[in-house]
Amino acid sequence: MYRLLPAAVFAVILIGLSIGPVPISFLQLSATDKAILFNLRLPRVLSAFLVGGGLALAGAIFQGLFRNPIADSYLLGVSSGASLGAAAAIVFKIASPLASFAAVSVFAFGGSVAALALVFYFAHRQGGFSVFRLLLSGLGVGLFLSSLVAIFMLMAGEELKALIFFFLGGFSSSSWDTTWVSLGCIPLAGLIACYFAPELNVLLLGEETAQSSGVRTGRIQLIFAILAALLTSISVAVAGLIGFVGLIVPHMIRLIFGADHRTLFPLTFFSGGMFLVLCDAAARTVMAPAELPVGIVTSLVGVPIFLYLIRNETGDLG
Amino acid sequence: MTVTSALEVHSISFGYNGGKLLKEISLSATAGELIALIGPNGSGKTTLLKIILGLLPPSSGEVTLLGQPLATYHPRTRAKAIAYVSQQPALSFPLTVRELVSLGRYPHGGRGAESTADTLSIAGALERTAAKDLTDRRFNSLSGGEKQKVLIARALAQSAQVILLDEPTLHLDLQFQLQILSALKRLCLDEGITVITVLHDVNLASLFADRALLLSRGELRGFGPVAEVMDEKSIKDLLGVDMKAIAGETAGTRYFVPRQPFSR
Repeated sequence: MYRLLPAAVFAVILIGLSIGPVPISFLQLSATDKAILFNLRLPRVLSAFLVGGGLALAGAIFQGLFRNPIADSYLLGVSSGASLGAAAAIVFKIASPLASFAAVSVFAFGGSVAALALVFYFAHRQGGFSVFRLLLSGLGVGLFLSSLVAIFMLMAGEELKALIFFFLGGFSSSSWDTTWVSLGCIPLAGLIACYFAPELNVLLLGEETAQSSGVRTGRIQLIFAILAALLTSISVAVAGLIGFVGLIVPHMIRLIFGADHRTLFPLTFFSGGMFLVLCDAAARTVMAPAELPVGIVTSLVGVPIFLYLIRNETGDLG
Repeated sequence: MTVTSALEVHSISFGYNGGKLLKEISLSATAGELIALIGPNGSGKTTLLKIILGLLPPSSGEVTLLGQPLATYHPRTRAKAIAYVSQQPALSFPLTVRELVSLGRYPHGGRGAESTADTLSIAGALERTAAKDLTDRRFNSLSGGEKQKVLIARALAQSAQVILLDEPTLHLDLQFQLQILSALKRLCLDEGITVITVLHDVNLASLFADRALLLSRGELRGFGPVAEVMDEKSIKDLLGVDMKAIAGETAGTRYFVPRQPFSR
């Protein structure tokens, strides 16, 4: 099964590369074909893969951290925090999104950490987090931050176009500039997450049991919170708000391969990447020549699955 | 024969902002001993367990574990000496019994592939808690009693010499209560493991424990052999329940039966 993974990833990337307005034959590449492939399609497919993997992994981390199968960057309002940070960077002309992608990412990171801190504050009670309180806190924080984003849009003036372009999201503007940042950060965050996976496994039994087993729980929780916020903010900076990847991908992987984070993390990363490359391919083709925002595709697929999970959740949703 | 001390607690106090949750508690536990911690809700039992585990630092006093001050242990080294079975956690993820028990091996390595010692230890832990048949089941699909066996197996996989438990018989039917305590008693007798457990049921304490520690409002109300510490008066003082003590079949054991549970 694991041996099939590289082949599947390769096949999905080929599918992503082969889709576009100009038909390209991989067997006979002209100079234009090569330019289109290398400068347009490859950064786009790579970005979609990295963002999909990053969002799925962020979801898996949040779920482990909150010991809850129903959590991801989008539902927890962390994505909204990231977009508020990015919007602030653009409106206050700290960076225009294409000129300084890194600055937008840094602000998005600040926003997502702040959002996560708020959700932590409102949802935590002695003994942990209930799904109920977690989802409501995430919803509240997310709505509040989104209204701040709306105010920023009204204040934006001449930056409004840049802002709207940014929030439409998707991968149509992906270039190597943005791809390098995600290529540097997302796999690194993934490797760190895999390294600390055993500690997160022990934490599934509760903080006290983990501490009594020798896990430094505070440190581990902080590391994973920062990793998930980082993955979310880079994904938002690259592609805007894309929901439900982080919710459904880890859930599916857990159903098939079990809950051990040592296998869950890598499988979730690669599956999330493939999932978003395929969603992006669908977004480009279903209404061609127009493009659907990829977030709409993931929501169309993700929301029914999310509702199904809520309906069938037999565990403690208290 | 020398009596080896597994655990020494020297006049521990603990409190937040002046309010004392524990006052000057001292106790000692030797290898192979089963100690029952008895007291009403809010008497400080769980706080005491957490201090003995090193999860809470005491305001004053000291804990010595296997002859070494607890505060000087590295968390992983400490986990190889003392293990904890908390009240049953709600687990939202589909871990199998074997996966859950293998988490107990974390202090012995944690990263990388399972060693031979890990494999043997996990199998042994499942064997000793009579949970071997459950190995491949999902933890969430088990009954309360089966879950408790598996949680104890996880603590055993830690290969610690001292095991602390917080109400291991909570929500279990009588058959499982007896099974769990018999399994713990066997660990004490056969392997010299020290077990300290919070128990609500004075009869289980009387039947299985070597010594009892009575705790009320953070104060020590008695610590010694069960037959000496637990009588009608001490139980009335401690739990506020009027009970009649009846001599058991073996010498020294006593059954406690509530007198007049309600008046008509």
